[in-house]
Amino acid sequence: MRIRSTREQRIRGVRSVLRWILYYVVIFLCFLIMTSGTWMKPILLVPAAIAIAVNSGQYSSALTGAVCGFLIDIACGKLTGYNAVLLAFFSIIVSLLYEYYLRNKFVNYIVITAVISYIQCWLDYKFYYEMWEYENVEMIFSQISMKVWAITIIASVFVYLVIELINRFFLPKDHITIEEAVNTAIRSERK
Amino acid sequence: MRDFVKSTKFKVLLGFLAFLIGIMVYSVTKGGYSLSGVSLFNTVSKPFRTISNSISRNMEGTLDRLAHSDEYYEENQRLKEEIGELNRRLTEYEALKTEVEELRELVSIKQEHEDFEYTQACSVIGYVTNDPFMAFTIDKGKEEGITPNCPVVTAEGLVGITVEVSDHMTTVRTILSPDLSVAAVSSKNNKDMGIVEGDIPSAEQGITRLIHVDKNNNLKVGDLIVTSGTSGLFPKDYSIGKVKSVSRDSNGLSDCAVIEPCSDISRLSSVYVITDFTGKREEGNEN
Repeated sequence: MRIRSTREQRIRGVRSVLRWILYYVVIFLCFLIMTSGTWMKPILLVPAAIAIAVNSGQYSSALTGAVCGFLIDIACGKLTGYNAVLLAFFSIIVSLLYEYYLRNKFVNYIVITAVISYIQCWLDYKFYYEMWEYENVEMIFSQISMKVWAITIIASVFVYLVIELINRFFLPKDHITIEEAVNTAIRSERK
Repeated sequence: MRDFVKSTKFKVLLGFLAFLIGIMVYSVTKGGYSLSGVSLFNTVSKPFRTISNSISRNMEGTLDRLAHSDEYYEENQRLKEEIGELNRRLTEYEALKTEVEELRELVSIKQEHEDFEYTQACSVIGYVTNDPFMAFTIDKGKEEGITPNCPVVTAEGLVGITVEVSDHMTTVRTILSPDLSVAAVSSKNNKDMGIVEGDIPSAEQGITRLIHVDKNNNLKVGDLIVTSGTSGLFPKDYSIGKVKSVSRDSNGLSDCAVIEPCSDISRLSSVYVITDFTGKREEGNEN
């Protein structure tokens, strides 16, 4: 770790603000893509929420997950708050997993995205179609839910690249202040 | 991890999740109206969504032309032949048209629908993402007098019903959906009644069904199916679609007809909402 100066602290703050602005621009673009045209589209906001949670704390992950969830509810015409609860919960889990157990690697991200988007598609199918016992309801799962899941995983690669690009330029590297460095040194000397 | 579970952060996050569940439960009680936050977001994002949707539709059109150029060439050749045939019929139709116009004046069809209160033409902003029943959003809402459960129509016929109304945006459930049931009747014979209700295989092909039709019916291919108006949700005698085929229902107790909607629901660009008509039920839910 490097010791950071007051000036670096300021730059770090500005970068952090810019990073979050860009995250939310990406989220809004994902929402616009999801609501445009007539073709089947990936649920881009799921991989976006996960990619952001990878490098964020639990509070910010929960909030971003909730925002992404609300936008999915608007785009997909679902009950307001339904996807917000789901994504906020999963974003917290992802944030914790990366803090305690996982390394920031692409393969981990893809596996987590695949699992979470599958759960999201499956719950959507269960609550919005199967529960109401429509005739031939299994067609929805095979012809829509699974296709949406597959294209969401493919699209998540692009979402990951965009978020990584933002992180490369704006994610602050691990630094400590002079006070923190002095305190750490004193503590280690005492031991 | 154990420390996290015991921490204040964990309790705050649990509280946040409970708050979100509260929002979800509250939105159920709104009875078809959007939450004010959602309504505000819809209003703010409307211009962006309109622009991105037009870009997306152009791109889809271009890709579609590239992918199906052979089919379009063949279709073009076939259409040219059909145009020749149609031109021959045109002369005949002109005479018929004059006659029809005279008849229309005679029966004063316009006077018949004097009770209808339409909104201005509503543009279709976009279709609901990945909805198998082609639900869509329009650019008019509560401010224009739209309420939940208003019929949505085109000049050709009934399209659906409003389900979620924001200030300047409304979601429309179509007649392809199994969640919308419309009491209907054959325009030729008032005895051939049934319920127009979509199902999953039909929705995939852009068609719907007339179910619970009496076994001793006189329905024929090409018959026009119109609203019966008995529920008070839809005006009487509004076109829904034409009969494509009639068969026995899977329960064996009644007949079922496949209906091709008068409007192509997958390619709508503008629609009208009927906000009021004679016989409208003020409160209620048929769907």
